[in-house]
Amino acid sequence: MAAILSIDEQIAAMKKAWPRFSARRIDRRAQSARWLGSVRPQYRSYSLEIRYRLGSFPEVRVLSPELIRLPGNSEGELPHVYPPAEDPTLCLFDPRENEWTAALTIASTTVPWALDWLTCYELWLMTGRWTGGGRHAGMESAEATEITQ
Amino acid sequence: MEIDVNVQLAPTGLNPFDDPLDRILAEIALSVQLPPSLHGKAKSRYEAVRRHLEATTAFIDQIDHFYPQGSMAIDATISTRGTDDEYDLDIVSQLGGRFRGMAPLEILTELEAALADYPVQKVLRQTRCVTLFYADKMHLDVTPSLRTYGTFDRESLITHAKGPRRSVDDRFVDMNAYGFAQWYARRTPLEARMAKEFHRRWLDHAGLAARADADVDDVPDQCDFIVKSTATLALQLLKRYRNVRYATYSGRIPPSVMLSYYAGLAAQPNMSLSAMVIRLANWIIRDIEQASLYGRLLHVANPVCEADVFTDRWPESVSQQNEFAGYLRELAHSLEAMRKGEMSPNTMMDILRGNFGDRVVTRAADQIATEVGDDIQQSRQLYTRRGGVLLPSVGAVAAPLVNPSIATARPHTFFGRKI
Repeated sequence: MAAILSIDEQIAAMKKAWPRFSARRIDRRAQSARWLGSVRPQYRSYSLEIRYRLGSFPEVRVLSPELIRLPGNSEGELPHVYPPAEDPTLCLFDPRENEWTAALTIASTTVPWALDWLTCYELWLMTGRWTGGGRHAGMESAEATEITQ
Repeated sequence: MEIDVNVQLAPTGLNPFDDPLDRILAEIALSVQLPPSLHGKAKSRYEAVRRHLEATTAFIDQIDHFYPQGSMAIDATISTRGTDDEYDLDIVSQLGGRFRGMAPLEILTELEAALADYPVQKVLRQTRCVTLFYADKMHLDVTPSLRTYGTFDRESLITHAKGPRRSVDDRFVDMNAYGFAQWYARRTPLEARMAKEFHRRWLDHAGLAARADADVDDVPDQCDFIVKSTATLALQLLKRYRNVRYATYSGRIPPSVMLSYYAGLAAQPNMSLSAMVIRLANWIIRDIEQASLYGRLLHVANPVCEADVFTDRWPESVSQQNEFAGYLRELAHSLEAMRKGEMSPNTMMDILRGNFGDRVVTRAADQIATEVGDDIQQSRQLYTRRGGVLLPSVGAVAAPLVNPSIATARPHTFFGRKI
């Protein structure tokens, strides 16, 4: 089993891969940090915040612009996020599939996945369709597959 | 080893599918393009019209040249104003000595009579041409011309007569469509990378995937239609924008040939498509502003034939040209905001729909959403260190080997809730 990465290792990996992200509120005792950065996956620029504490999943928020809702959309007003509705965090992987572990770098998982999420979100705003696949909580795998095809 | 400097420096153009905004603009252009099936038909139809005319008593041995003019000559054909699937194509029929000395109306009437029994839905004599209306909504304008001797590049006189009776307004009008097409071609040389990708997608759209694999070098042999430069793609978008903006106008609108002239002027290799549309719009805006400042009408003449005035029927007033400049400003400003990443995607869609038409923009976005979503599900995407996502169709697949700023994707499954 791969070794769990320390917060310093996560910070170093982020610095190397994503120069537009900077680490803040580094707490080595709690093994936690927060990164702020700007990205432009496709059409629009976004300001992102990533919070991480060893032992928890990384949390990704879009700080600006505010995420747009599409009332009445079949994917929900805002798909593939964790509540609360007024402060959603992006849901980037299926916990049941072990796609993320503390032995992986945030730089090689969370950031690119957030870019994928934003790309799919933009296309969802443009077409009303979430074409990036995935599964909403409570949905069975077979049902999820139908939606992604 | 010798290095061919010309080859090294030859502009290959930017792939319009590389950049997200250019990609949707290129998809829009693809949607309004003359499709491959109709392109083939157009060519065989104008050859058939020539054969039909040459079999008539009036035109036997009297057709010196029969050649495409306008958008067809420069590969910039798009659907007709107010439609998504009708196309106007133009042919010049350069006539021989029997027609010299005839009045404009006589020539047009002779042409109309020779085509009267042509197997199309309708044959209509117009002011400068005779139009054939085909059942599949293609319209072919046949414009009779008489060569002006002692001039270059097939400079000719074309007929202008409203009919049905002769009028003092009847006249011959100078033109050199052939020379203009040559000028345009010189101004917009082949940008191989851009042309190849666009041509592949054009065939792909028509379900001709096997042919879409052809190398660009093979293309002219297989199919002589190819959008060769980003400037021509920008011209098509600008013409579509004009068609949408003027959809409800009953009078004359800014002429395509005038827009083509500006596309020739603005042409510059290796520019992005959105930047080229903005550059083209701004070029026209500047000329209109300059003319309006002195209370003059915009005057644009054929660069190879001064007497061939492209603006002879539009604009009719300074306010008319100012209105067009206003529309162009709106287009340029909206594209600039999109380029800067300042606009939300749904607002962008609303503006693109308003600019280019609901159906074609919706179709373009749907196409992209399906392709990009599929790429992401298959983890085919790459990332730039600046936080951009590159999709495989952008030709960046080999990039990680040479560019350390690009990272590959790791499979994952979107989860979470609908809120």
